[in-house]
Amino acid sequence: MKKIKKIIAAVIVSIMTCFYLPATAQTQSLQFGLNYNYGIPTGNFKKNIVSNSSPRGFMSSLMYPFSEKLSAGLAFGFQDYYQKYPRELYHLSNTQSISAVLSNSVQTTPILIKAKYYPVITSFLKPYVSVAAGTNIIDYRQYYGEFGNISQSNFGFRAQGGLGVMIPFNKTSASGLNIGATYDYEPYHKNNFKDLNSMNLQAGVEIQLR
Amino acid sequence: MKTRLLILIGFAAVSVLYTSCTKDPVTNLSNEESRIYITDHDSSVNFSNYNSYSISDSVAVIENGSSSRELSPVDQAYIDAVKKYMNQAGYTLVSKKENPDLGVDVNHIINTSTGVISYGDYWYNYGGYWDPYYWGYPDFGYYIPYAYSIYQVKEGALSIDILDLKNATENNNINVIWTGLIRGSGILDSSVADSQVKALFDQSPYLKH
Repeated sequence: MKKIKKIIAAVIVSIMTCFYLPATAQTQSLQFGLNYNYGIPTGNFKKNIVSNSSPRGFMSSLMYPFSEKLSAGLAFGFQDYYQKYPRELYHLSNTQSISAVLSNSVQTTPILIKAKYYPVITSFLKPYVSVAAGTNIIDYRQYYGEFGNISQSNFGFRAQGGLGVMIPFNKTSASGLNIGATYDYEPYHKNNFKDLNSMNLQAGVEIQLR
Repeated sequence: MKTRLLILIGFAAVSVLYTSCTKDPVTNLSNEESRIYITDHDSSVNFSNYNSYSISDSVAVIENGSSSRELSPVDQAYIDAVKKYMNQAGYTLVSKKENPDLGVDVNHIINTSTGVISYGDYWYNYGGYWDPYYWGYPDFGYYIPYAYSIYQVKEGALSIDILDLKNATENNNINVIWTGLIRGSGILDSSVADSQVKALFDQSPYLKH
């Protein structure tokens, strides 16, 4: 819990810093980002729920550039994880057993406050680090064969740290291609699980809206 | 104007991604993978104490609480499969008149209403599907200690129940000492009956005589 509070505090400080920094950029336009997201389960998530990586996801953002080096805003995304395990015998009680192909299906929908910092800016590359925190809408379903066993929707906490690079379309453009990676901390204390932590690889576009 | 258009396109893209990204676990299963096999038994029973069995000559079709009997080719295939695996487990098939130690019922459960079937209700009405008279104990009831954990039913299920006839008089009930349930896609097919019944017996090694 202390860890979570520290992360939230860091994100809030980052965003507040953005507001108080002098806006050196002359064109303070909203930046819309839309990225394909490849999710890789880690830790308890990988061990106990879904070990398959997920190619089904995206992450979008709407960021306001408070300065040339700092921007902050909202991020919204979606990732679908799924795994089908081979048929196995599960004991439901001392005497009752079920033989089934077990499927786990997890959908995460993060809604985050995000800050980005560009430490070095060149005309052709803008590397950045990012932090984000917010809520995570988690849908978890488990099936025995074609029959639903568990179906739950919950809100959880989510914090994210990331690295990446923005490649402008041309020397003067504020729009460009984005390539990045994040590590997402997603506690999930349901059904004897601990977390849905994941590594995420992203590629997409950043577009200046005016 | 250009900004608004870009925002609109952005939100449209996000919406499309959101709705198209999910993989449906149910449609990603073959018929074999869709099936589940549930077994339960009376843990106080030692099955090696039983030698003979008799099996019903038809299948009870239980539909929304009422029942009838039928003997379609699929039903016959299931009855034959149960005989095969009971024999392999070491029990001897005898006629009802020869005082079998065990009775075996095969049931086809259909629920045409959407939503949920309560297997509690199924067990509660068991005497309506299989009159105790059928097994030679007209004044007795059934004792059924089970409650299945999974209830959602959209299509048919098949259940097989083993009854303790040997100790019915002593128990003053016909106890259901083993039950097996088969559910999933494509189970009402003669060609798969053997493998479905085999699955139930395979996961019940204590049934060996």
